[in-house]
Amino acid sequence: MRFYLRRITFYIITLWAAISLNFLLPRMMPGDPAAIMIGKLRRASGGRELSEETIKGIYALLGADKNTSLWDQYLAYWVRLLHGDLGISSTRYPYPVATLIGNALPWTLLMVGAATVISFALGIGIGAFVGWRRGTWVDQLVPATALLQSIPYFWLALVLVAIFSVRLGWLPIVGAYDPFAYPSGPQWSWAFLVSALYHALLPALTIVISSVGGWLLGMRNMMVSTMSEDYVLTAEAKGLKPSRIRDRYAARNAAIPSLAGFSIALGFVVAGSIVTEQVFSYPGIGKLMIQSVQGLDYTLMQGVFLVITLAVLAANFLMDLFYGLIDPRVRTNG
Amino acid sequence: MKRKAVVAIAAGAFALATLFSACSAPPQPSASSSSSGSAPATARTLRVWAGSTTPITVDFNPFHVDTALYGTYGELYEPLFFFNQLSADAPKPMLGESYEYSADGKTITIKLKSGVKWSDGQPLTADDVVFTMGYGPNKTKKLLSATAPDATTVVLKYSAPQFTSASQLLGSTMIVPKHIWSSITNPAKETNSKPVGSGAYIVKTTSDASYTFAANPNYRDGAPPIPEVQFLGLDSNQSGQDMLSTGQIDWTGMFVANPDAVTGNGVIATMNQQQDPTVITTCADASLGCKGAQTDPAVRQALNLAIDRSAIAEKAFAGLVGPSNPAFVLLPRDQEWLTDQSLASSPQTPQIEQAQQILEAAGYTKDAAGFYGKDGKEINLDLFSPDGWTDYNDAAKLVAESAGKAGIKITARTVSEAEYWTPVTNGDFQLAMYGLTQSIVADPFSNYDQYFNGQGAAKVGDAPTRGQNYSRYANPTVDAAIEAAAATNDAAIKKTEYAKIQAQIAKDLPYIPVVLNASQAFYNTKDFTGWPTNDNLYADPLPYLSVAPAIVLLNLKPAS
Repeated sequence: MRFYLRRITFYIITLWAAISLNFLLPRMMPGDPAAIMIGKLRRASGGRELSEETIKGIYALLGADKNTSLWDQYLAYWVRLLHGDLGISSTRYPYPVATLIGNALPWTLLMVGAATVISFALGIGIGAFVGWRRGTWVDQLVPATALLQSIPYFWLALVLVAIFSVRLGWLPIVGAYDPFAYPSGPQWSWAFLVSALYHALLPALTIVISSVGGWLLGMRNMMVSTMSEDYVLTAEAKGLKPSRIRDRYAARNAAIPSLAGFSIALGFVVAGSIVTEQVFSYPGIGKLMIQSVQGLDYTLMQGVFLVITLAVLAANFLMDLFYGLIDPRVRTNG
Repeated sequence: MKRKAVVAIAAGAFALATLFSACSAPPQPSASSSSSGSAPATARTLRVWAGSTTPITVDFNPFHVDTALYGTYGELYEPLFFFNQLSADAPKPMLGESYEYSADGKTITIKLKSGVKWSDGQPLTADDVVFTMGYGPNKTKKLLSATAPDATTVVLKYSAPQFTSASQLLGSTMIVPKHIWSSITNPAKETNSKPVGSGAYIVKTTSDASYTFAANPNYRDGAPPIPEVQFLGLDSNQSGQDMLSTGQIDWTGMFVANPDAVTGNGVIATMNQQQDPTVITTCADASLGCKGAQTDPAVRQALNLAIDRSAIAEKAFAGLVGPSNPAFVLLPRDQEWLTDQSLASSPQTPQIEQAQQILEAAGYTKDAAGFYGKDGKEINLDLFSPDGWTDYNDAAKLVAESAGKAGIKITARTVSEAEYWTPVTNGDFQLAMYGLTQSIVADPFSNYDQYFNGQGAAKVGDAPTRGQNYSRYANPTVDAAIEAAAATNDAAIKKTEYAKIQAQIAKDLPYIPVVLNASQAFYNTKDFTGWPTNDNLYADPLPYLSVAPAIVLLNLKPAS
């Protein structure tokens, strides 16, 4: 029980620090968002004079009011946060940040989440097999997948699009579903689900291809070192079936370090995959993040970072609890 | 073991090589998706990428100049007249029938078309126009009164002559229905997701990936021949190009360095109209707080002569741009207003000797390193452009390179977009790569008024008070000439005033012209006919402009 209490306290403090940092970071960035917004408006309006009222509104909205102290801004930030109000986006004015994130989150979770899980499962599975058969031809999989991982991601994605979508016409070029068949957006139907899966195929594939090598290499090496452990030797001496030794003795223990990495990867699923979403025009969180940074949209930036922070912390927390469950040593020593 | 590793790497390299060769082969037209293959029996939806990015957030508010979705201006809401920026012809009637200026230019009498209806069936009358002119951001102190003597006549009275504001008042003010907007008190907060307009299209459906317009059955000339138009959201030009070449979109406007790759299959045609000047904006006026050698006109003149425009056009802009001129007129459209033929083009090749003569005459001397300076201080200028605007970044590098050859030291650097706009607006810069917006009518007045009018020049630290005089250029001769030109409708007087302006700005060069930007449009001529051609430039076929795309849509017909 003390273990869990300690962990929970730790996470609450981390959460507070992360949220406070989230408040400070955008305010320490260079540039003045209100000036940018006013400049944009002036250019877009073809030189129409901006009314005093408009300019005042923009300053109020973007929180660049020089009369408010940082402490007051911080308090207001917490009050807003506790009310679930993440503010209004300036790049997508006048849409609330919460709505934008709410719309983007499911796509990222499903596509990037599934790709991460598939990549992990494939990497661990194949890694265990390669480690078991170390020194044979299957070891070639390690440099081969490492090569795929070392290709710049956007290049890999563009090449795959050029082949499978443009040249062969097998897979869609962009989007999370077919906008021509579903001009009104997502709907609950079997056909729509098929369309969504079909559109997720290529982006997910690019993520798997470019990330499976890391899991595979880690798992293979852990497998090799686990297999020199005494308990594996004992199991062999007892005359257990090789498949039992491989799965129950070696692979189970070898996978523990990878699980820690997986929890972090899972947390970062929420951050989406910025480049993937950009190349495939996939409506996820990663794109919101890059757009908010480019447009100096402080509120959207804060909202996205907050969601990412929460997700990473939550994933770590769950994995901590899970760890305590599968590895008793953590509970007593941690 | 070692040999096997080599085999594996070789195999991987081979796989990559095949991938690469596969993608560098020209795309086959036959591999395109089903949409372009089948000839439409009934007119199909026209698919457009005007430049929207995902997620699309619904906003059809014509007062949201920055965030309103493409199609709001023209397709949904209409101005009174259409000003074609490609021609010097008179404006074409839209909601208006005709307009007339009083002799002093302070009163405009507009005749409206009769029997026009809003898309909800209510009649559109002069009351709506009067309401619009005094509503929200349209409200100005200069407008003394707007009245409607009868249902199809509007009289606007101003405190100052409005000869030069015709394109803005009549061509870019979208008329909105009074019965809807009179109950909207804060137009800034309204997203107007169910717009009621007078244009040829109404909103059919929207999503985060696209939005679709349907023909407006109440349109004054009857429903347009293209029954539906779908606007897509895409996040990269590469996606746009891919969807264009696979026949999934029919119309777009974007930069493609190699347009033949898209038009090669005979389905897509392209048009490149060079309009907007790319310039080096200089913080020009030392008395307003600008710092650096560029505040000396001699340095700007030397720089203007030293840069290699032909190399910039070829290397940075793929040869798709047009030549700029120091009079800031758009040729041949504004030929009438070019008062000195020697100003028809900026030097295309570097004139190093002349540049150096100017510097030496102004008291600059070359130092040991080969750079010019004065009073022991080397000219050392900072030129910046937004990171990722690769054409601007490359152009800046080439400018620095050719200036260096003439002995003017310039350092080109890139900054994030956020760090770009703030100094440009506040005047805290020396040189910036910048794009000016060309006047949309065949008269360079708005160029002069927007960018060169000293009334808008603010002290460094403040944004320009009016217009976009980011250079902080203030020249009493130019200001007086702008004021005189604004107050007259007499072409001869205007020309005399423009001659003064052009002579001054070509000498002072607060904005050093570099090239005229390319603006490429791509459109499907196989399934749709009626696009503008070089012989019939009835509207600019760029889908991201306002009003012009609506005119193009009205002229399109499904190919039989």
